[in-house]
Amino acid sequence: MKNSETRSHRLRAFKNTKLHWSQYVVIAVVLLFLTIQALPNFYGFNYQLTLSSTQNSVPLPPIAQVKSKLASNGIIIDSAKNSGEQLQLLLSNKQQVAEAKSLLSQFNDEVFEVNTEQVRNQPTWLHAFGAQPIKLGLDLSGGVLFVLEVDHEKALAELKESQVLMFKQELRQAKLRGVNVELNDKQQIVLTDVAGRNNLPAFVKEQLDSLPLFSVRDSNVLGNVRKIVVDVNEEQANKFRREVMAQSIKTMRGRIEELGITEAVTQQQGKNRIRIELPGVKDPNEAKRIIGATASLAFYQMANGSSFTTKTMRSANGELLRLNATPIFTGNSIEHATNGRDQMGSPSVNLRLDALGGKRMANFTKDNVGNPIVTVYTEYKKNEHNQTIKSSKVINVARISEPLGASFSITNMESASAAHELAMVLRAGSLNAPVTIVKQRTIQATLGEDNIEHGITALAVGLGCTLLFMTVWYRELGLIANGALALNLLSLLGLMSLLPGAVLTLPGIAGLVLTVGMAVDTNVLIFERIKEELRKGRTVGGAIEAGYQNAFTAIFDANLTTMITALILYAIGYGPVKGFALTLSLGILTSLFTGVFVAKVATLTLINPKRNGLLGVK
Amino acid sequence: MRSFLSSNRFTQLRITGFALGLVLMAVSVFGIWTKGLNLGLDFTGGYLTEYSTTAAFKQSDMQGALNKILPDEFQLTMAEGGHHWMVRQADSIDNASKEASSVPWLQLLAKELSDDVLPLDAVYMGSQVGDELIEQGGLALLTALIMILAYVAVRFEWRLALGAVLALFHDVLIVLGVFAWLQVSFDLTVLAAVLAIIGYSLNDSIIVADKLREHMKAKHNNTLDTLINRAISTTMVRTLITSGTTLTTVAAIGFFAGETLFGFALALFVGIAVGTYSSIAISSTLPQLLNMDVDHYHKMNEEQCTLP
Repeated sequence: MKNSETRSHRLRAFKNTKLHWSQYVVIAVVLLFLTIQALPNFYGFNYQLTLSSTQNSVPLPPIAQVKSKLASNGIIIDSAKNSGEQLQLLLSNKQQVAEAKSLLSQFNDEVFEVNTEQVRNQPTWLHAFGAQPIKLGLDLSGGVLFVLEVDHEKALAELKESQVLMFKQELRQAKLRGVNVELNDKQQIVLTDVAGRNNLPAFVKEQLDSLPLFSVRDSNVLGNVRKIVVDVNEEQANKFRREVMAQSIKTMRGRIEELGITEAVTQQQGKNRIRIELPGVKDPNEAKRIIGATASLAFYQMANGSSFTTKTMRSANGELLRLNATPIFTGNSIEHATNGRDQMGSPSVNLRLDALGGKRMANFTKDNVGNPIVTVYTEYKKNEHNQTIKSSKVINVARISEPLGASFSITNMESASAAHELAMVLRAGSLNAPVTIVKQRTIQATLGEDNIEHGITALAVGLGCTLLFMTVWYRELGLIANGALALNLLSLLGLMSLLPGAVLTLPGIAGLVLTVGMAVDTNVLIFERIKEELRKGRTVGGAIEAGYQNAFTAIFDANLTTMITALILYAIGYGPVKGFALTLSLGILTSLFTGVFVAKVATLTLINPKRNGLLGVK
Repeated sequence: MRSFLSSNRFTQLRITGFALGLVLMAVSVFGIWTKGLNLGLDFTGGYLTEYSTTAAFKQSDMQGALNKILPDEFQLTMAEGGHHWMVRQADSIDNASKEASSVPWLQLLAKELSDDVLPLDAVYMGSQVGDELIEQGGLALLTALIMILAYVAVRFEWRLALGAVLALFHDVLIVLGVFAWLQVSFDLTVLAAVLAIIGYSLNDSIIVADKLREHMKAKHNNTLDTLINRAISTTMVRTLITSGTTLTTVAAIGFFAGETLFGFALALFVGIAVGTYSSIAISSTLPQLLNMDVDHYHKMNEEQCTLP
């Protein structure tokens, strides 16, 4: 058995020595593709100034005038474009950006808003490949920082309002007529019974049994009038605030994940703020819209004879609608949402509800075929006095044509992008409390540009020493290993640039160092094995073949266990840990490809198999 | 050297090395237990205020001045000969309510010291974040360890697997021990370095184990002791080259990249150094101490051969 194994082994080795042309093709195609992906990283920046007027009445200055004014101050504009609402100018000199900005913000005695943005200075054919440079983390390149304020007092107030409605409904069901329920000026719920009935306290107690948030503050009888004051108890309210915060943070994380940013850091700051760091995001606007969105949906039925409390809203075409004040279900029941188009081709949002929402929907639609169902879209906005205002609008009134289940769609969205954004926000979970952005900043790298430079110097010095050592120690094979190492880093760069979610951070550099180590290790393992085979008396060609073949199990095991670590870290970890895991796992793939496959083909091509001696072994 | 590596004296050295490894692990655990890790702001949460003063102050004077101003506990770090200061405070509800008043305490300090106090940086980090991070990191480490143990146990004899995992524990513990004893700040980058070390340590152990497996399959008339020594001696050059080149890179990072990456470089350097040591002294010595059967792979082969 042992004999046959060796023979087949030799046979395979002999066959493989002759390289098949397809191996060259595979290598060429993969390396070319990854090199193109990596290329944008080597281009510098241009700076785009966007000029827009602060008031609609002021027209934008003509391009020629802007150019001549800047030129008289020694500032050269590479290109300029007037898009109607904005004037876009491209500069290549970073030093002149600030000066140009100050010149333009006061142009011809008019005040303009000037925004600057970095633009990659890469040839247009690279854009055609869709190649993008690798995204750098907040710690390396800066990024966008948001601080959000969660208004849990507003959420608490809303809870009280809905409790008032609840009391009214339950009183009606308990046939306790003539009890007035309202919020007093201290935002306490007051139940007033002019009939002074004795069973009211028992009723309130029963109601509050399942609601630990509320407790009875005061209960008195004055003449015939019985008054019961209900308010939230402070301990429970604190718990509620914490829950609102936790839920808001969770929702924010969901939204950021929807945006495809893996290295985002979302954390609580102080009592009621959320700090969101979005590394690599240069344009805060999309993120701002999604993160700041307070959109929620609720579904109402039209008021009918059995409705006790109603609210009136205006539909999109101005018609007045009387709705039941309590919704059939709210956005909280939405499990999944996607945007799409209906049969008529207009934008729609397709929803799937959770078990509870689905049941309610089924029950409701079964009994209400032919009746309308109203979709209300609510968001919070800040008014000019910086108060949070709730604004609701009816986006859809649909007649129920058949009983619906857990899946259905909202049609008639105003635009495809509105449908896309609503689906995204609904998918990530709605917020129970209004959230407003209180701070937004595009921050500089915490490391500082100097520090990055030092980091790259360090890596280069280390890498240089490694390359030098490999050349001295392994001669020709060392050069091949160095080539493989260079291709490995290039491929890794390309692969990381290719993946939209990949962001390079400081921990990511740790993964890079480890990759260099592993790649060198792969080659060292193979070369030591070749030496061993040569000492056994094999020919150079046979030893190379056997070296690559026999070292493979060790390389495979070592890399696979590291891959397991990396994948688990990727699955469980969050933020920086995830970035590290990604670099590491991609690095394993590229180092296997370049270190084993490319280096083998290169060795067999470049080293004459009939020569005498290799690696100092005759 | 080759003859020494396959001699009995090398075996004795390995067993002594194994014992030394256990002692080092104990010292590390003692250090972590008594001194604890100097967790960075990433993990603990809290406030970090950096400021500079025009005149140089003694640490004790600054401490005294701050004691009068700050109601809660704080940590004071001095740099640049008494000009540059860092104050770290815990995250508490008291502090949160006074979030806006962080500037006034610096002004109070300026009055107290009758010197200019220039604020440089003020960072706030919520404490729950840190707890979450520790929980998540710990969970990730544990899952990774279990999965790797399972994989290595399937691919190799279980005692070899146990050896690799003990070496892994050894390396990570010693790195943590060094950070505990030296009280170097343990931040997110250091955590990433520790994760990288897991990869390295395992790599070394597996290379030796793979060679040992190969030798065990080939020659069954040798003692386990000889085979282990031979496995180590044939992989020695590779181990030294790989560790050497990586240590050079890491040293370059520690030397050139400045203070931000110092902890990271220190963790990697210590980890790779002890990782090399443990792959020789621990991961292959443990199977020997646990009486691994030298014919293990032959028995497996025979069993396989009896199958049709």
